[in-house]
Amino acid sequence: MEYLRTLRNNNVIYSGTRNNFNQQTTSDFSIRFVFSGNERYSIGKRQLSIHTDSFLILNKGTHYTSTVESAIPVQSFGISFDDKFLQDFKNSWRLKDDTLLNLNTYPFINRYEHEFDETIYPFKGDLFFNVNHLKHHIGRGLQDELLINEYLHHCLINYFQIFNEEIFQKAQRLNFLSKSTKIEILRRLNLAKEYLYSNYNTNISLDELAEYACLSVTHLLRTFRQAFHQTPHQFLVQIRLQRAKDLLKNTDYPVNEIVNMVGFDCPSSFIRLFKDRFQVTPMKYRLSF
Amino acid sequence: MKIKYIPIFTDDLERQVKFFTDNLGFEVCDKKNLLTSRECVVMQTTSPDIFMLIAKDYGYGNRRCNIVVSTDDCLNDYHHLKLAGIQFYNEPQYTPTGLRAEFADPSGNRCLLLEERNYNDLT
Repeated sequence: MEYLRTLRNNNVIYSGTRNNFNQQTTSDFSIRFVFSGNERYSIGKRQLSIHTDSFLILNKGTHYTSTVESAIPVQSFGISFDDKFLQDFKNSWRLKDDTLLNLNTYPFINRYEHEFDETIYPFKGDLFFNVNHLKHHIGRGLQDELLINEYLHHCLINYFQIFNEEIFQKAQRLNFLSKSTKIEILRRLNLAKEYLYSNYNTNISLDELAEYACLSVTHLLRTFRQAFHQTPHQFLVQIRLQRAKDLLKNTDYPVNEIVNMVGFDCPSSFIRLFKDRFQVTPMKYRLSF
Repeated sequence: MKIKYIPIFTDDLERQVKFFTDNLGFEVCDKKNLLTSRECVVMQTTSPDIFMLIAKDYGYGNRRCNIVVSTDDCLNDYHHLKLAGIQFYNEPQYTPTGLRAEFADPSGNRCLLLEERNYNDLT
């Protein structure tokens, strides 16, 4: 279902099938999702691709183009938060709940938030449930703006929780004394992560990954492991398996084709890795739907 | 919304579970942290959709909830119940098992509105 819903407080909710090419400037802080297929965003020199397992944050005023490169229809969903709504949220909730966001431990959160947030995050946890509920209700014609805003408020709670987990808890793991070094390294590691998210189905060499992240290969490997408790390769395999799972569930592509689509070379190693991770073979997983 | 769990509080968890198992034919099916900060033994009753929650009694008295109402969308039900004038003790809160909010019936009995969320399915 296609709609663009502007609430009285200027929050905007969009749902629909994207055109092939779309050039825009975000007027407000936005969260972008896809519920099928994938959508590629160009922001400056960065190419960011979002799938059903990830979402993208766009800051106010960001220039971007989005393109759809997907064999299956791409169902986009986006929420733009009015400045005042966002500020009210931050004042009322985030600053109140300083234990959750570790404001005492990380007084620099406000200082660095804007620099960090415009990247790809995993679409998981409570944000996944709340966005799905919101989408479901609006799709069925929900008019009650109080309720819609309640969902939006909770989407922000959930987003900041993910932001905290993905940025500040991981920065804390880095073995550097200086906070600013931790932040700078994590910023570069996030570049590596978004590169893996966006190019997961290609052959990615450690050299090109390190170059994109502006780190040496050794430094990248060491700090990536410290922050995320896995190597870049393990992280890449995890993305590939997750996306293969999505394709198995939502498409009729043969398993061998999916193996190639998500970037694996060998079907037998794919099947082994899939079974190790999800405790079920790809075919059995597909047959369970 | 439907009633899914009936909490029972006890000093002796083992004795209580044995009572329901031996006398009423209920079966232990899980252990979950559904009530605040306490693990409960979940028992399948003879009704397929209704479970008993056997929890250790920490002497919270009237702060204990008497019934757990299951919902598939806590925010939606919270909003509509509030509009209907029902008093909630708290705003919806996130827990490892899902989203929950506690409200009072007209006699002051505590009821828990619970949306269980399976986060493992997302990974």
